[in-house]
Amino acid sequence: MAVFLIRRLLGMALTLLLVSLMVFLIMELPPGDYAERYAFRKFSGTGVAVTPADIQAIRIELGLDAPMMVRYANWISGIVLRGDFGQAYSFLTSVNNVIGDKVWLTLGLLVATLLLTYLIAIPVGLYAAVRRGSGADYGLTIISYLGLALPNFLLALLLLYFANRWFGASIGGLFSDQYRDAPWSLAKFWDLVKHLWIPALVLGWSAIAYQLQTVRATMSDEIGKLSVMAARARGLPETRLMVKYPARLAVNPVVSTIGFDVNRIFSELPIVAAVLGLTELGDLLLKSFLDLDMNVAGAILLLLTVVIVVMNFVSDLLLAWLDPRIRLEG
Amino acid sequence: MMLLSVENLSISFRTDEGPVTPVQGVSFDLAAGRTLGLVGESGSGKSVTTKALMRLLPGSAKLAPDTRIRYRDKAGQIVEVEKLKPDARALRALRGGEIGIIFQEPMASFSPVYTIGNQMMEAIRLHKGLRGRAARELAIEMLAKVGLSNPAARVDQYAFELSGGMRQRAVIAMALSASPRLLIADEPTTALDVTIQAQVLELMRGLQSDLGMSMIFITHDLGVIAQIAQEVAVMYLGTIVERGPVRDVLKDPQHPYTRGLLKAIPSLDRLTRRLHPVPGDIPSPSARPTGCPFHTRCTEARPGLCDRMSPAQTSFGTGRMVRCHLAEPALARSA
Repeated sequence: MAVFLIRRLLGMALTLLLVSLMVFLIMELPPGDYAERYAFRKFSGTGVAVTPADIQAIRIELGLDAPMMVRYANWISGIVLRGDFGQAYSFLTSVNNVIGDKVWLTLGLLVATLLLTYLIAIPVGLYAAVRRGSGADYGLTIISYLGLALPNFLLALLLLYFANRWFGASIGGLFSDQYRDAPWSLAKFWDLVKHLWIPALVLGWSAIAYQLQTVRATMSDEIGKLSVMAARARGLPETRLMVKYPARLAVNPVVSTIGFDVNRIFSELPIVAAVLGLTELGDLLLKSFLDLDMNVAGAILLLLTVVIVVMNFVSDLLLAWLDPRIRLEG
Repeated sequence: MMLLSVENLSISFRTDEGPVTPVQGVSFDLAAGRTLGLVGESGSGKSVTTKALMRLLPGSAKLAPDTRIRYRDKAGQIVEVEKLKPDARALRALRGGEIGIIFQEPMASFSPVYTIGNQMMEAIRLHKGLRGRAARELAIEMLAKVGLSNPAARVDQYAFELSGGMRQRAVIAMALSASPRLLIADEPTTALDVTIQAQVLELMRGLQSDLGMSMIFITHDLGVIAQIAQEVAVMYLGTIVERGPVRDVLKDPQHPYTRGLLKAIPSLDRLTRRLHPVPGDIPSPSARPTGCPFHTRCTEARPGLCDRMSPAQTSFGTGRMVRCHLAEPALARSA
């Protein structure tokens, strides 16, 4: 187990290093840099002629003139050693201030989505497999295929429309008006929870459908295993039998793809956020790319990928805990 | 009084191609402490028959209305097995506590995510009312009884950590951990190599006499039957075609199929002679031949008789039975 843990930890460290390099490369990719954008913003319409020398001066002031590897080293060491993501140029403050709260909101949304996904997909999938071939099974299968086929931004629009029409509720955003700028309190948290389920459902929609099918297929397989019949032949009551033997293994493929689900949720986040009017990281990521505000974009990308890598690590650990074959042989 | 008595066991399955009946009119008795060998090719209905005794068949299987399965339990009560509801407490008490079963594949019989001890203690807790340390001690004792070295460590191992022979021993220990009075062994030695096979057979014979259990031993190998059973029933296409004491049946087989199986056993004394396999394949239960089920492969079949009329049971000698048109007249003369 210790060897397993050390190996996975080293693997994760290496992945994180490569990921940070890639994020930095992506930050470098767009043509031009913030110095040009800054000069354009500051002087356009003022009649002042901007020379290349002026832009170069801005560049030096912002520290954008150093070679790429030096800038990478500064950037990553600031993050790792001081937790400092650098200057958010277009906000005239530090990146940490700009994204601070939004990181937690995004993580909250992620956790809510994952919880909702697994709380629905696992029990329903297990039930469908145990009642395989029944009306309930076919009904659930049709609904879940619908889930796979329907794009989630469309679902978001439908939910917005009908919620507004039937309940007169405003379901956009993460907070009601009175709490938006209020300090954190229990009431504000409860308000968040009340708003969170809709984006969580929309974001989890396709994952629920997909994982439900996975659980149902694995469970159907596991129910027919000889070890299950052997346990039944020992006189184990049926419900305990189902939970202890096939269900325990049917959860494995779900656990091993937690990382994929996180990935999917983050990819869909910007579109869903735009439709539902959420002010979390996805929205900010798009804006900062448009502004060439690379420290903000880089910080967000890095945070999202770190979350994905860490969640993959967590899923590896969970899987090893669930399945001794991995723990003892892996 | 018999421990187990089976009358007219017929099992049919609902399939997409209509009902299929892999077992038809099987009857046999088993006395306490005795071993019945159930012999036949793959597809002859041996496993399905024994699974029916523990009601382990899937939901698509149905027992015929005149099927009777009577089992005398530890308290001396007669259990009407065919009438038990699937969730009945009496059925759960029967499974494991009264009748234990060993399947052909020892690896697949254990769940890979629980230790051997965990799965053994489950049966011990359910049927013997022991908890914690006491249950664990009993599991270790059973593992020692089946000849596993270092049982106190094995109890915390997983099935995939053991070798094939050890796994089969562990499976036997698991089936016996709640002290059943009847053990069903479904080809327990088929997946093992020959030297281990002999060890496992020896072990099972020893355990049977130590514990005073009855046993139903399924195999396709008449040679194994001679070593372990007192009675034998030869099955073909879901019916018992010949039944009787092992010695008598092997010495003087009456059914052409039994003779065919005996000729197909390789022997060191007859190295120069060719083996004579039974020609052809066993028909599918969904395309059951009319008349005698064996007539399509029988070298002695009489056209007009064997392919038209189903042979009746003929009882003769000491507890022997055969179902064959050709054996009837000969036996009638000798009687």
